[in-house]
Amino acid sequence: MFRKLIASGVAAVALIATLTACAAPVDDHAGHDHASALTVTDVWVKAVPDLGEMPMTGAFMVIENTSDEDLYITGGTDTSGITEMPLEAHEVVMDDSGEMVMQVVDGGIKIPAGESVQLMPGGYHIMYLMMMKPIAVGDTITFTLNVSDGSTLELSAIAMTLEGGVEEYVPAGEGMDG
Amino acid sequence: MTNDTGSHGGISRRDLFVGAGVAVGATAVTAASASAIAAETARIVATSVGDTTEPFYGPHQAGIRTDHQAHGTFAAFTLTDEANRNSLAGVMKVATIEASRLCKGQAGMSDTDPTLAGNPARLTITFGFGHGFFERAGLTGLTPAGFEKLPAFRIDELVPEYSGGDLLIHIGTDDPMTMAHALRHMSRVVASVAVPHYSQVGFVRANGSSPRGETPRNLMGQKDGTENPRDDVAFDSRVWAGSDAGWFEGGTQLVIRRIAMALDTWDLLGPSDKEAAIGRRLESGAPLTGNKEFDAPDFSASLDNGLPVIPDFSHIRRAHSPDEAFKILRRPLNYNDGFKPDGSPDAGLIFAAYTTNIATRFVPLQQRLADMDILNVWTTPIGSSEFVIPPGCLRGGYIGETLLD
Repeated sequence: MFRKLIASGVAAVALIATLTACAAPVDDHAGHDHASALTVTDVWVKAVPDLGEMPMTGAFMVIENTSDEDLYITGGTDTSGITEMPLEAHEVVMDDSGEMVMQVVDGGIKIPAGESVQLMPGGYHIMYLMMMKPIAVGDTITFTLNVSDGSTLELSAIAMTLEGGVEEYVPAGEGMDG
Repeated sequence: MTNDTGSHGGISRRDLFVGAGVAVGATAVTAASASAIAAETARIVATSVGDTTEPFYGPHQAGIRTDHQAHGTFAAFTLTDEANRNSLAGVMKVATIEASRLCKGQAGMSDTDPTLAGNPARLTITFGFGHGFFERAGLTGLTPAGFEKLPAFRIDELVPEYSGGDLLIHIGTDDPMTMAHALRHMSRVVASVAVPHYSQVGFVRANGSSPRGETPRNLMGQKDGTENPRDDVAFDSRVWAGSDAGWFEGGTQLVIRRIAMALDTWDLLGPSDKEAAIGRRLESGAPLTGNKEFDAPDFSASLDNGLPVIPDFSHIRRAHSPDEAFKILRRPLNYNDGFKPDGSPDAGLIFAAYTTNIATRFVPLQQRLADMDILNVWTTPIGSSEFVIPPGCLRGGYIGETLLD
């Protein structure tokens, strides 16, 4: 019972912090938008220090929906000159042959009302394709996410090393049989 | 400024909730709520070691003045040829964020094993820069005064696998699972510039098995660290670099020596010979001229036969410096890695000494011990490393920022 008391106390503190943050400059590791009911924390991107033949990367974060309606992340726009391609909302699923592949999420990544969703390697992520410049460990990049309620979220992500959780990419339009 | 040693006299949130539980218990009347309170109180007590945290941010890095945790690892890494000032700064930014999260009991952002992060158990993660770090960063001109490689001592039998290192990640915690996870994650975090060189794993007594702050014992049974600094004044003069140190203010210099102990032959000695070798009583840690651990040794006292009470060859006479500022902080760990092929214990001390200046304050001490210290009969240095421990940082900054930015 005290665990619940503690948890609700923490939630109240977190809410206050969110409201306060709206009036303050955007913090390096969290982004907020006045129009959005979403709170985003722990934003990071997989570092790509060397552009290979098919340079791409993924951004990850925790998204909390403080509203009472389900919201969807439908994609986004890079604002750091990393790529000219739109950012795609991706999921990782098992294809017909049993391989884990990633693909565009039909309808966007659902953030259920009142819940938090973690975008992480091997799961939902925001996909950068056709990168034009590398991202070194420790770099901070910026991008905008599109939310189904019409709002946008301006985010900054710090780049970290990621070796695990890498899945094969299936380009949009080719489908799971592609 | 926040003190980096939250363990000193603080009341944790846990304690407050235990207190609240007791207060509610006093007014609640139903048996059901009383038993629920009892169950919750038992759970809180059972997890109190795991839930306790040490602050990460502050003017000094944690893990130095912090009361000894039960377990520790000194992990040294070698920087890759590609490492440079920019890439090192980038990695230290990320390493700082991830270390600060782990120390709060929060999984790292890029943590691939988040289920292992929930029991910080006073976790501290401390970073150090070796000679190679300054070289790769192109900043040898900013190496702190006195940060020099130790000279070779005649007692040394150093092996490369326990010596050197460009980047140090020192992990301390009361939970060995937490230590394993922190080492794995932090190794991944720095992998773009650093490959593992050594990991020296050691321990003192378990949390709760002896009073917090009590001087730990080494495997020879001696209290180790009686002469340590214990207050701000002593730390400021003996451990932390001062305001004249530029970017290094608030940092310190660390010497790690792996000291093999021949415990099988040591154990052939009787208690009085063991006490004469160190110059202290084994049980109390008191000098042979005193009654209590913290009594000052009287090096001039002599026996009826004219010989000194504290023998000339004893460890504390050789280690003693009359100048307070020249006294180091000892924060060693014990290691006990099974048996060697000949059946003798593979055991000893991971000696860790913190000082403001290795060349002027540590080397003379080590030289006196190398020249004549009866403990050399049973101890052999087999590894040696030096690291600059940069100052701590505040939230939003990163460890090494004042050097690398």
